[in-house]
Order: sequence, then C-alpha cells, then structure tokens
Amino acid sequence: MALENPFQDPRRFERRIPECAVVIFGANGDLTKRKLLPALYRLAYERRLSPDFAVVGISRTSMTDEQFRDRMCASVSKYLEDSPFDKEIWSGFAQGLYYMSGDVADPKTFSTLAERLTEIEAQRHTNGNVLFYLSTQPSYYEPVVKGTGEAALAAGKGWRRIVIEKPFGHDLESARALSDKLHEVFRESDVYRIDHYLGKETVQNILAFRFGNGIFEPLWNRRYVNSVQITAAESIGVEGRGGYYQEAGALRDMIQNHLLQIMATIAMEPSATFQPDAVRDERAKLLRSIRIMKQTEVLADSVAGQYGPARIGGADVAGFRQEPGVAPDAQTDTYAAVTFFVDNWRWAGVPFYIRTGKRLPKRVTEIAIQFNAAPHAVFGDNGDGTTPNLLILRIQPEEGISLRFLSKRPGAGMNLRPVSMDFNYGSSFGERSPTAYETLLLDAMVGDATLYTRQDMVEASWAVVQPIMQVWDTHKFDFPNYTAGTWGPKAADEMLARRGHTWRKP
Amino acid sequence: MSATIHPETVLRELSDLWVSLGKETDPGQSSGVLRACTMTLMAVAEEAEDPSDVWSVMAMLMPEHPSRAIVIRFRQSVDREVSARVFSQCWMPFGHRRQICCEQIEISASDASLCDLPAVIVPLAVSDLPVILWCRGARLFELPDFALVAQIAHKLVLDSAAFADPAGILKRLAGRSQTDQILGDLAWTRLTRWRELVSQIFENRSYCARLPGVSQVKVEFGGERPPTSAYYMAAWLVDGLERAGAKPQVSWQPEPGASPGLTRVELAGANGDGLRVSIAMTADRERQTAQVHVDSLSNLAVFPLDNDYLLLREELSIPGRDPIYDRSLARAALLASGKK
Repeated sequence: MALENPFQDPRRFERRIPECAVVIFGANGDLTKRKLLPALYRLAYERRLSPDFAVVGISRTSMTDEQFRDRMCASVSKYLEDSPFDKEIWSGFAQGLYYMSGDVADPKTFSTLAERLTEIEAQRHTNGNVLFYLSTQPSYYEPVVKGTGEAALAAGKGWRRIVIEKPFGHDLESARALSDKLHEVFRESDVYRIDHYLGKETVQNILAFRFGNGIFEPLWNRRYVNSVQITAAESIGVEGRGGYYQEAGALRDMIQNHLLQIMATIAMEPSATFQPDAVRDERAKLLRSIRIMKQTEVLADSVAGQYGPARIGGADVAGFRQEPGVAPDAQTDTYAAVTFFVDNWRWAGVPFYIRTGKRLPKRVTEIAIQFNAAPHAVFGDNGDGTTPNLLILRIQPEEGISLRFLSKRPGAGMNLRPVSMDFNYGSSFGERSPTAYETLLLDAMVGDATLYTRQDMVEASWAVVQPIMQVWDTHKFDFPNYTAGTWGPKAADEMLARRGHTWRKP
Repeated sequence: MSATIHPETVLRELSDLWVSLGKETDPGQSSGVLRACTMTLMAVAEEAEDPSDVWSVMAMLMPEHPSRAIVIRFRQSVDREVSARVFSQCWMPFGHRRQICCEQIEISASDASLCDLPAVIVPLAVSDLPVILWCRGARLFELPDFALVAQIAHKLVLDSAAFADPAGILKRLAGRSQTDQILGDLAWTRLTRWRELVSQIFENRSYCARLPGVSQVKVEFGGERPPTSAYYMAAWLVDGLERAGAKPQVSWQPEPGASPGLTRVELAGANGDGLRVSIAMTADRERQTAQVHVDSLSNLAVFPLDNDYLLLREELSIPGRDPIYDRSLARAALLASGKK
C-alpha cells in the first residue's frame, strides 16, 4: 500500500491539489479564458497547486507555448474576480502552461498529445495523473472521448478523469447515448459532470445549514413546510447567444440541470456520511422521487414564456424574436415555471415552484421555504399577524440566509409586523469565497465528486422534464407573453394562485 | 488609591450603544445595524504598549471573527485600580447597505488588581460562546495571579518566542496542555508556511515513498540557542518521519550572523545518499521567501510577512484542540530538555 503523507495537517493547511496535468480541449474558447484559467491561477495564488502541476491547452488555433502563456496572462488579469494579479506568481504558474494545436477529429492529435504528456510528466513530475477538461461544444465530446480512448490516454500509471460541461444531452435518449460513449472509455467514477451552481458557496452551505444544525431538520417536511419557491432570474437577454438559446430554452438550459439539482439539495434526505457517493445517492433518490407529469397535467402545472420588447431605463430593449440569430416566429421559452411534487413521505403534497427566465426585473437566484402559518391567529388580524415564516436561502448576487418572523410593533397594542433576520455570507465572514470553478476544479483534481452530477442524476432529471418538453414542443404558444423587465407571464401567477400561493418578488 | 468598575454598568453602556447605533441608521433604510458575535476575544497587554497596536489587530480580525473584544491593559503598580470604557466598531462591507458592528471594551488595570479581574470579566463574556485570551507579553504570563484570568478562557494564545528560556516555557506549556484549556502558540503558528512546504513536497507519491530512508534532521537557527520554533519544527518533523517508518537523528546548527529564529531545515538519508530536502527562509521588509530544494530540483515560494493579525486569524479559526500541535509540543518540550 502506498505510504500516506505523514505531514498533512488539514486543520491548518489548505486542501492541496496533487501533482497532475490538466488537459483543456477548447483552450482558446471563452470558458477557458474567463473561468478555467483564472480559477487555476487563483488556486496557484492560494498556494493550493502542487509545484508539479501542468496545463496543456488544445485547440485548432496554431500557437506556441509562449503565445498561449501570453494570451492566458491577458485573460487571467482581465477576468480575475476580486483578486490581485501578481506577476511573480503568474510567471511561476505560467512555466507549467503548454499548448498544442490540433483537430479533435484527427487521431494524430491524440498520439501527439500522448507524446507531449510523457514529456511533461518527465519535466513536471506529474506522476501520470491527468484531468481532461472538455471546454468545447457538445458536438466535440464524442470525438474527444473516442480519440482519448484510442490513444490509450484514459488509463496510465496515475489517475485519469474527465470533466464535461452541460448540456449532458438534449433529452433522455441523447443523455444516455452520451453516457454510453463516455463509458466506452472512462469508468463512471472517473466522469465529472460539472454543474457550476453546485460549486457555489451557498448551495454547499445548504447542506451545512440542514445537516449541521439540529433545529431545522425537524421542521423540514410536509408538516411544517407549506411550499418551496426556487427562482433563478436574469435581467439580461440572450446577449448574442440567440442561435444557441433558440435550440435550448429556459427549461432545458436551467431547470433540467441547475435548478433540479438545487431542489434535490434542498429536499434530499440526510446522507449517512459526507462521502461523495453517499451524498449523490440521496440527491439521485430525491430526483427519482419527483412526480413525473402526465401529458394532461403539463399545461396546468407548467408555464412557458417569451419576452417581448420594452423600454427599460430609457433604453429600448429588443424582444427575443428581435434578437440577432433568432427566428421571427421562434417558439423558444425564455421563461419557464413549473410546479413539481415529490412523492415521498417527507414532501407529499408540498408544491415546489421553480421559475427561471431572461429579461426579468433583476438578477437573483434564491430559494424561499414558506412555513405554515400559526394554526390559530391568537392576535387576531392586527397588522401582518398572519404572515407565515419564510426562510430564504440566497444564492446570488448576495449569498446568505434570511429568516422572516413576526415581532411586536413597539408601542401600545398588540400589533405584529414581520422582521427579517439576515445572515450574509460576504459581510458576516469577510473572507473571499472561492468561485464555483475554483471549488469544482479543486474537487475534480483531488477526486471528490460530491458536487458533480452522476449519470443516474442526469437521467432522473431528464425523465422529469421530458414530458413537459414533449408537450411544449407540440404546443403553439402565443409568444411573446411577457414584457421584458417584468416578472414573467400572467399564467405563471395563475398557476400559483390555483393553490393559494403567490410568487415572491425577490 | 482604589477604583472599581461594575460589570452591569459596562453591559448597560453596551446596550445603550446598540440603541444609539440603531437610531443613527437612516430611517428610510429597513436594514439597520447587524450585530454579529462568534466569541469573546480578550487581549492582555502592557499599558506601555501603544493601544492602537492591539486595537488595530482586533479590528482587522472582526470581519472574519466578529466578537465582543475586551482589551485589558496592565500597568506596573501596587494600587488596586480598575476602570473601563466601552465603544463599538462598525464597518460597511463594500457593496452592502448594512453595517456590521462589534462591541469593544477596554479595561485598564494595575498588576495588583489582577485578582479582582475575573469577577469583572466573567459577566462581560458573551454567554454560550468561547472565550479566547491572547496574552501579549511574557511578563504578564509570569504574574502570580495571571492564572486566575487565564482560567476563564477556553483557549489561551501566547507567543513562546517572547520568553527568555525556550526550554522552560515549552515545559510549562506541555504541562498546561494536559488540562482542559486549549493552547495556541504563535511561535508554532509561524511555522505553518514551513510545514505546508514540507507537506507539499511529500504529496508527491514518489518522494513520500522515500521517507522511511530519511535518517537525519538538521535544524539551523539564528541566535545563541535554538528558539522554541526550532524545537517545534524538529519535533513535528521527527513525529512525521517516525510515522513513516524512519528513525531520524536531530542535529542543531547555529547560523552565525542570522537574526534569532529558525532559518533552515534539512532532511537527508544516511551517508548523503537517498532523499535530500531542504527549506531555507529569508525575509525582507516586504515578504518572506522560501528556497526549497528537493534532490536536484529547486523552487522559490513567497509569502506575506507574518504579523499578529495573520497569526491570530489562523489560531481563531481552530477553536478546538489541535492534536498535531499537542503532539509536537510534548515532543518539543522533551527535545528542549535534552531528552529524545
């Protein structure tokens, strides 16, 4: 058995990344420039990276190692979030950056990569550990995986893992097909499907909040919880991605992955341990417990929307159909709201309202858990005496937790008013929170898949949204049905009103 | 001459402070002030020290470790005098509308009144939260009644580097670590960067596999005799090496002309064969630089200079016992006493 490092001190040392090479396919793309390299540099800045660390960028553009380093230097200094750029640290980090140009459809690219990795291993002592990161268009996933397998890069003397970005298919069938292709080369345990929402500090804090405290879990069930609302609103439109977005839509782009994963984190049972598979088993179990809608229920329990033009803040804002690259009669949902139910003992009968949309009034992502009102209004109808307690878990832009409860208004008489007790991550702890990509890249390199999505979770979430997609795909909507800058279509309000609820205005 | 303070008065003043802070808030804002507290952080310091030195450290710690801060400033006097004042420190985090405020109490006391202080401090400590005591001077720790104040704390933090007799203080600390009180020593905290560098080298499996062959630990230091940090470092290295199956010998090497403190450590196999690792640390006015050699490879790492804020920040983030420190302290005391 390999000797464990006897000098580890997890109380005082930051979690360290072992020696390895990260191979980024799509190294000249936006994700690499804006997120991946800044996150890796930041890990180097925090001294989390082993000195025996290397990055190999691959894309079709012809470039030398030096040119790649210069480009990445410019990107990192531009896109680094709330961190200083230190030239000295960069120059040490940049020594481990390598580049090769190549077409992923050409098998020679992978044999060259194998040679390059052998050279780098000798130079940087990476011990054969390789993380492949697919930062490419989904259509390249298959050739990259195939090429990696054929060049025998998926196995070696160290560990080999692969990270893929969403979308994991465009429906249940294609998601299964993608997994089959991945599994021809990589074991499921070596496949890391990234969902950057799960890397956010507050999403992780949901687990700490629920399972680290004894007082909330007894209330976390149908007996006390009246309803749950999950909102992911964006104030921007499709920002030049009209062509892509037209094929995806809000339901596929947001609900199928990010928001169902958040819902699973909110509603899952406690796992016996914090081991990756124990946590993922519970998340998967919850996703499988979400009631799959019958076709006849879809139009009553889901609402599709598309924004129309408006004038916001004195400026004209185009409607979705007026965006570049979008068909004038596009039936794409830029807004989606769905009522889900979880068929298990804990949550039976509790509606989970999920909504997401573009061109809503503000950028906000939050979860609101509404508790049942006090069973008897002892104080009568004095002020807001019937307002139910609300627990709000804010994910962005300001991460934190708020609890709304009733308090007596100062003065004579028993008038109640709601007050909010806030815990704000950023201001309660002045420490900088790592970005989602820093967290997730570090996790993948140390082999912790807790925050990554497993194949059964992907399939379960596709199974949930598939019936909705099928009905929406065949239905002709009267779009646009909400004005840019508003909280979505009227039908979404009516969907909640049928169960006596209203959407929060975050 | 005699002066006293009443904890109830201090608490009432604190309460009034919160009311006035609330009134200062713009009535148009629903936000108000947010009161945050995770501990009572007490510092004992000499009156001769510039109070702003202590308060600036406390202030920097507040955003990450919001606490009720109590600073007790001692003067050498036989009069039993104690007085106190309360104030708050607020800050508006960048981009936020809500200000965070922390309570601060400053107590002035004479050495002779040390025995009167527990009755004042105990009611002032925030209920149900840990009390951390930071002792900023060797003289204060040596005062006969200091134990009365120290026993209030869940964790006592001091700096053994400030003590004239390294072996003596390590022995006393090792004795104290057998009690329920948690100890923190900033001389140990200063080694975190060193230790991280060592650990980082052995994250590489091929180097780790060669650890059982290490037979020598050489510790170099500035000054006439090894400082506590040198004993701690040697103790920690020997402990790790023994757990890897090695049986190392420790040698001590003064480095003429170097400032007092640990300057270099080296691990090597017998007769110069096998793995050879060394780390040497130097500091200028801006940063510390570590020169790391592993066999023929070398690497440079730079760190910010240590200061009280950074060291205390690390200690406050470890509220419970630190078994690695406890183990290293016990062995360091043995090494300092000449026993293995």
